[in-house]
Formats: sequence, structure tokens, C-alpha cells
Amino acid sequence: MLKRKMIKNFGWPLKTAMRETEVTRLYPEVMMELPENERGIHELDATTCIGCASCARVCPNSCIEMVHFKFGNPLKNKKMQFPQIDFGRCMFCGLCVDECPVECLKMGKKVVMAGWERKDIVKSPDFLATKRFTAKEVADLEAEAKRVAAEKAVAAAAKKASAAKEAPAKEGAAKKPAKEGAAANGPAKKAAAEAKPKEGGAA
Amino acid sequence: MTNASEVLSSIQSAFPGAVLDSRVESDRRLWATIDSKKILDVCKHLSTKLNFDHYSGAAGVDWIARKEMEVVEIMASHGTHQVVAMLKVKTPRENPSVKSLTGLYWNANWYEREIWEMFGINFEGHPELWPLLLSDELMGAWPWRKDYKGYPDLTTGERAVKISTPEGYTEYHIPPTPAEVEAGTVVVERPKYPTLREREEKEIKSDSEMIMHLGPQHAMVPGPFLLDVLVEGERVHKAFLDLGYIHKGIEKIMENRSWLQGITYTDRMCYVASLSNNECYCGAVEKILGLEVPLRAQYIRVILEELSRIQSHLIGTGEFLTLIAGVGYAPWQYMIIDRENIISLIESVTGARLTHTFVRFGGVRNDLPAGFADQCKKVLPYMKSRTEEFIELFAQDPIYHKRMDGVGIIRPDDAKRMGVSGPPLRATGVAYDMRKEDPILVYPELDFKVVTGTKGDSADRIDVRLREMLESIHIIEQCLDRIPEGPIRTEVKVPKKVPAGEAYYRVEDPRGEMGMYVISDGGDKPYRVKVRGPFYATFQTLTPLLEGTYIADAVAIAGSMDGCPSEADR
Repeated sequence: MLKRKMIKNFGWPLKTAMRETEVTRLYPEVMMELPENERGIHELDATTCIGCASCARVCPNSCIEMVHFKFGNPLKNKKMQFPQIDFGRCMFCGLCVDECPVECLKMGKKVVMAGWERKDIVKSPDFLATKRFTAKEVADLEAEAKRVAAEKAVAAAAKKASAAKEAPAKEGAAKKPAKEGAAANGPAKKAAAEAKPKEGGAA
Repeated sequence: MTNASEVLSSIQSAFPGAVLDSRVESDRRLWATIDSKKILDVCKHLSTKLNFDHYSGAAGVDWIARKEMEVVEIMASHGTHQVVAMLKVKTPRENPSVKSLTGLYWNANWYEREIWEMFGINFEGHPELWPLLLSDELMGAWPWRKDYKGYPDLTTGERAVKISTPEGYTEYHIPPTPAEVEAGTVVVERPKYPTLREREEKEIKSDSEMIMHLGPQHAMVPGPFLLDVLVEGERVHKAFLDLGYIHKGIEKIMENRSWLQGITYTDRMCYVASLSNNECYCGAVEKILGLEVPLRAQYIRVILEELSRIQSHLIGTGEFLTLIAGVGYAPWQYMIIDRENIISLIESVTGARLTHTFVRFGGVRNDLPAGFADQCKKVLPYMKSRTEEFIELFAQDPIYHKRMDGVGIIRPDDAKRMGVSGPPLRATGVAYDMRKEDPILVYPELDFKVVTGTKGDSADRIDVRLREMLESIHIIEQCLDRIPEGPIRTEVKVPKKVPAGEAYYRVEDPRGEMGMYVISDGGDKPYRVKVRGPFYATFQTLTPLLEGTYIADAVAIAGSMDGCPSEADR
């Protein structure tokens, strides 16, 4: 009885061994299939990144640093700051991806990042960017950004001038509304400021 | 059935004036501040009259602004009723001291030792106030107090002075800098206590006895801890445990991280149970925030936690088999192969293999991918047949039973008294499962049994784990049938700052009862997080359990507990 049971148990591994289950992975030659949700190396869409540094702030290991990168969108990302990730410290928790307001940071299926030195695994936006503008596009965008900035400057100057013009008129108006405007909070203040010239005009 | 307000009125009528402040959160939670002079009497009353036979742990809190310290005793019952009483005892910050509960509850020993070494709260009447997790250098610095400044000078390595001891060892002494002395980091006057070696040598009674080290690097449990056994021949007379080799201070780290960042640290307490740890922390924070988790997210959480339980039990059982090497290494390989299927399933949802950081406040990170249910329906029946085969193999193997039967028996009364939870407790026949006792998520709607054993020995513990896997498969199958469509996160925006409050939340970890006590002071970081881990409690029982056994069985007993020192040390 005892022997029969034991033989049965020894037979089990044999039975299992006969069943062809592939266990060993031929890793460097054949990469295993990774799921869609895999949290591997980050992928940066440099065309949409606004350089807000949310990812850098939420990182529990502070492995994200905002650095300069050329091929982004200067219209949205004025200082051209993009995340650089130190994979020596990254724990692939994915909080940075969740926190990104424009969803430009994602984690992809790429997982190979080995390097000979510590600095080799500090990956710059150049490495991370999967989408980027070409040099020409950047030049165009920069020109556009300059034009917008110039327009804004002109508009601001005009506004200043008009404000300076209307200033005497404002003083002519009653002092009470000005006081109320100061007491109210931000948006109300603006509304009051907008409303005032009209009053001045009416006066 | 007793509920929280009845417990409160019972205490108030028995000890008028003892309850200084109280709050009945729900039928299952009672918060009460007890007069420090009467805490012992109140606890005696609770344990004798109201069936509070489960001392679940204690937490120290340093209220630096109020200039007082608090010890929170967490009391529960083994199934008689579901009330968890959180009894707070206050003590002034200068010279803090409270009464020890070790006389009433045996397992209060370690919890109080930990509070003593971390906060410097003295426990009157505690028999063994010795360091547990901290190294000797830090004793007396009370590192978890709020005014502890850490190491202001980071030049430690450069200052180290090499000393050769007469015994031939090399030691390093690091002289303190003025900044460190001012910060109080460097201990000038250490409390007096016997070292582990002195304690061990005191127990040696005759020449035929000797101390044998098992660990810190022993294959017994996947993690370092020192188990010294005092042996005479083959018999173990006494066992000594020394842990803290991988003490990371996660509770303190979490106080310095934002609420969201804290989730990543719960993963790393125990990587095979990271989903239940996530769940425990997020559940506690959700309780403070008053967030409602959408139904779909609740189902996803349950599915993943049960999958995680299966893989944890597989690795636990497989590892146990390598330890009692008689049965051989083959089953370990089979279990790891099977576990790979489960891990791939979890990975397809969370994107990570072990440290998932998956549960979020008020939901989960990702939705189930397309085809997940089909994949599950392929893997689960296979797992079921495999597990049944494993159970059969274990049941019929005569060598295994000769080796394991009657080894490391825990009687139900002892198990309750020692505060064991999870499979080691259920193997003794006590049906105590958090999924039934303190139901969370959609567990009350699901149909499952609490698996129990009969004998409470090592073989039974393994059997309970294997049969629990079948129950988990059953739960997942139900969830896949019932999971509704809908959002996976709350529509309410989760605030960066959590309103002031406190919560205690319990989940059933693969290893037993996991509880987290979270306090918020209204800031963007937790004020205090206390982790009541399941293996911490099981670990404590190891020393009395080993007394009188054979050395060869020591490994079998410790291995059958499915330990995780990383979680005990935190």
C-alpha cells in the first residue's frame, strides 16, 4: 500500500515532464511578450509636453529632473523644460504618468536600459522622446512663438497706454467702487476693473 | 450581537469616569480615550466580560503640539463579535509611561517593545524591555518621535575610524559631529538592557547545552532574521529571535511622503502581498476621506487580491517544500511554473510583476484589459486542477506525512492567546477571516467558505493554504461573472490634503490579518501610519513553539508559517 502510493507520487513528476510546457525563456534572443499595460521605460511625447514638472514633484524617489531639450513645442512649453529620468532610482510606480495633465508621459514596453556606468542610465528627454518636432518645425514654431510674444507685447503696451489714458477718468469716478474692488477677491476685482472704464465713459 | 455602543456603555457603567472621550464610528469601530490609571482594569473587563480575546496590536503616536504621547491599543474578538475597540491612553511627553498589558495579553510583548524603542514610552511592568528592531547605536534616540532630526551630517563614511578588536574582528566607530550632538541623533546615554548574547548565555545551564545559530542568512524564510536555538543534543530547549535586519522604517518614511506617494511604500513591505497592502492603506485613507469606490473598481480589486493570494500561497508552499528537502525540490519548480500564469494575469492588468502600486484612493489605476476574462477562464480551471492534484499528492504521500504530522502543533486556545492570524490560526480550527469578520469591498456579496483545519500542525497549515487557493479561484470566477461596467475611479476629485481624522482598516492578507491605522492632521502627508502586519504576530509565536522540538523540525515549523521578515521589520 505504502509502496504503491509512493510510486504514484514519483510517477507524477514524470507525467508532468512529459507534458510539453515551455518554461525557459530564451531572453536575449527572444523577448517575452509583454502586456499592453506594461510599465517599462517611459515614453515622452515632446510635442505636447508643457513642462509643468508635475511628474518631477510627484516622484517618490525624486528621479525626475527637468532639463532643456530642443525639439519640443515652444508655444506650450515656454522654457523648453522636459523630464530627464534617472533609471538608477526609478521604481516604475507610474505615479508620474498618472499625474501628467496632458498625458504626454507614458510607460512603454521597452525594458532594456543597462549601461556600463551610473550616468548611462540617466536618460535624457532625447532618449525618452518618441514623438518630437524636426529642427525645421521647431524653427517655425519658434518664429510663431516670437510672433505671438511680440503681438502680446504690443497688446500689453497698447493696454498700458489706454489704461494710462483712462486713469484720469477713473479718478473722476466715485471712490467707493474702487474700495469695493480692492476688498473683493481675484475674478471680482477683474470684473470691477473692466466695469470701471465703462462708468468712466458714461460719466 | 454586541456592537460598539454596547461595549462603550458597558465600560462606562463598570468604570464610571474612566472613559475620557469616545466616538462610535460604526457598529464595528469604537474609539475611546481611557484614563491611564484604569487601562488595565478596562482591558481586563473587556477580555473577561465582553470576549475581547484578540489583542491585535498597539500603536504609539507622538502628539508634539499637545505635548503628550498616546498609545493606542487595538482590541478585537475571535469571531464572538465584530467590534474593534481602539483604546487610547495618554501620557505626558516628558517622561512618558503607561501600564503594560503583557500580564493580560501575552502577545502585547513585541508591540510594546517596539513602541518603547521607537518612541521612548516606558511600559510599567513589561518583563523584557529590550530592543527589537533597532540596532544598539540608535537605542535612546527615539527615532519615531516627531522632533527626531535624523543625521544632519552626511559625511558619515568619511568620519569612520577603523578599530581592530582583540578577537580579531574589524569594527568601525563613527565619531559624532557637533551638529549631530545638537540634533540629539547621537545617543549620549543609552538605556540599560542586556544584549542578545548576554541573554542567551544566561540560559545555558550545563556543559551539554550550546547555542546554535540559524540565520540571519538561512534558507528557512526568504529574508534575514536571526534564530538562535539553545540545544542539548537534538532537542531545542529555548529559542531566541533577533529581527530588524531589514528594518526600513517604512512607517516613518510614509510620514515624510505625500498621501499618494505612500502607496508605493506599502508595496515594498511584502512584495508577494503588495496588492493587499495597497488595499489596506488606500482603504484607510478612503475611510478618512469618506470616498465611495465605484462597483467595478471594487470587483477589480477583489479579483486582483485573490489572484495575489493564490500566487502568494503557491510561493509559500513551494518554498516550504524546499525547506523540508525530503520531499524534494521538484514541487517548488511546478509551483513556480504555475505561479507564472497568475503573475502574468496580474501583470496584464497592473503592468508590474510584483510591486504593483495599483490601488488608488477611490478606485484603481487601470481597467481590466480586453480579453482578461477569457484569459482567466483559461488559467483558472487549469490552476484548479493543478491545486487539486497538489492536495492529493500531499494527502497521499506517506513520507511527507511521517515527516510533518504532529510537528509544530498549535492548540486553538494558544493560537488565540498568541494573536496568530491567517492560515496558521485557521489550521487550528478557528474560522477567523477578515473577509468575513470585517467585510470590505464586495466580499459580503460573494459566496465563499472560510477554510479551516483540524490539528493545527505544519501539514495542516499547508493544507489550509492549498484549499484556500481553491476558494480564491471560486471567488474570482464569481467576480468575473458579476463584474459590472462603469467607471473605475470616483468622480469626486481626490484632494491633495486629507482632512484631519483617523481610521483603522483591516484586510485579509495572504498571511493573515493586516491592519493599518492612519492618522491625518489635515496636511498633505500622513501624521502617522501604523502597520499591523500578520507575520509580526506569527513571528512572535515562533520562540515558544520551538521549545522542546528537534532541530530538524525547527526549519519545518518556521517554514510552514510562510514568513516574510520584510513585513515584520517594515
